Amino acid sequence: MPTFPPLNVATDPKTYRVTFILPDGSETCLEVGEDERLYAAACRAGLNLPCLCLQGWCITCAARVEGEGAWDQSLSLRYFPQDREAGFILLCTARPRSDLRIRTHQRVALRDYRISRKLPTPRG
Amino acid sequence: MATKRHASDNIVGHGDLTKRVGVEQIRARGVDVEKLIDLLIDAAGAEFTTYYYYTILRMYLAGNEDYKEICEDARLEDRAHFELITPRIYELGGSIPKDIREFADRAGCPDAYLPDDPTPTNILTVLLEAERCAIRTWSEICDLTLGKDPRTYDMASRILQEEIEHEAWFIELLSKERDGVVRPSGHFRRGTPGEAPYSKNLGFYNP
Ligand code: FES
Ligand SMILES: [Fe+2]
Ligand SMILES: [Fe+2]
Repeated sequence: MPTFPPLNVATDPKTYRVTFILPDGSETCLEVGEDERLYAAACRAGLNLPCLCLQGWCITCAARVEGEGAWDQSLSLRYFPQDREAGFILLCTARPRSDLRIRTHQRVALRDYRISRKLPTPRG
Repeated sequence: MATKRHASDNIVGHGDLTKRVGVEQIRARGVDVEKLIDLLIDAAGAEFTTYYYYTILRMYLAGNEDYKEICEDARLEDRAHFELITPRIYELGGSIPKDIREFADRAGCPDAYLPDDPTPTNILTVLLEAERCAIRTWSEICDLTLGKDPRTYDMASRILQEEIEHEAWFIELLSKERDGVVRPSGHFRRGTPGEAPYSKNLGFYNP
């Protein structure tokens, strides 16, 4: 069971540039601290992204990293190596470890991917 | 004999047992029935696993009899939620998985595991976040069915009311336990353990 750090860490010594790409193609670029969860950072910037469990389980917040990128997903209760291989990221419990370009609203894509790999996932 | 017919009735033929007007009517009003069934099965899975995990969490609240009693109410009410949802899944034409492992795997909310360090604060934190996931789940199902599927909406809103109470209980307990701050839930005790007044259609406390 991970221990969750505080939601916003404004005094993080290290920050990364994270770009969120929404379904309408619009882009929002933020500085995100290394201890800040990406979902919280997006909220801070006024982005209204889907979420449900906020514990890295339900995949409602799933997104996909474009190109290269590094992130810490150790706060998630259920995240598979295969998810990472395919670039899927759970924003609610992910912390940046490099600059990132992230396509949001990928719940259905991750659900279908997990089903194709016979990995557990909510279906709805 | 009624003369007013709804267009969607036409797709359920006279004597046809393979379709249900009770389903086609909500489809005609814009409900994605297959998605709704999937969401209900995920939610039923979460209620069922939560019932199971709360059984363990409650054991480890030993010595905190007040916490145990509140946890017991939430535990039994989650079982009541499972019992309430399951018939609706079948009525809509769905079914719960044959294998309980598959059911648990697709639960829409996390396994509420006993924390490695099972202090009352840590256990109450798990309980609180489980309730919050349930509130978001049932709020979404209310949104999807409002004005289109009164039967599922009524069920979801009854469950939601109890989940909202559960969150308030655990905020009250965790606030006092962890922070020493009084944040009353505003509720009195259930008449009997796990009474589930909304989801069992009982009277609720209103002196
Ligand atoms: S909100 Fe559930 S996995 Fe992120
Ligand atoms: Fe419940
Ligand atoms: Fe609950």
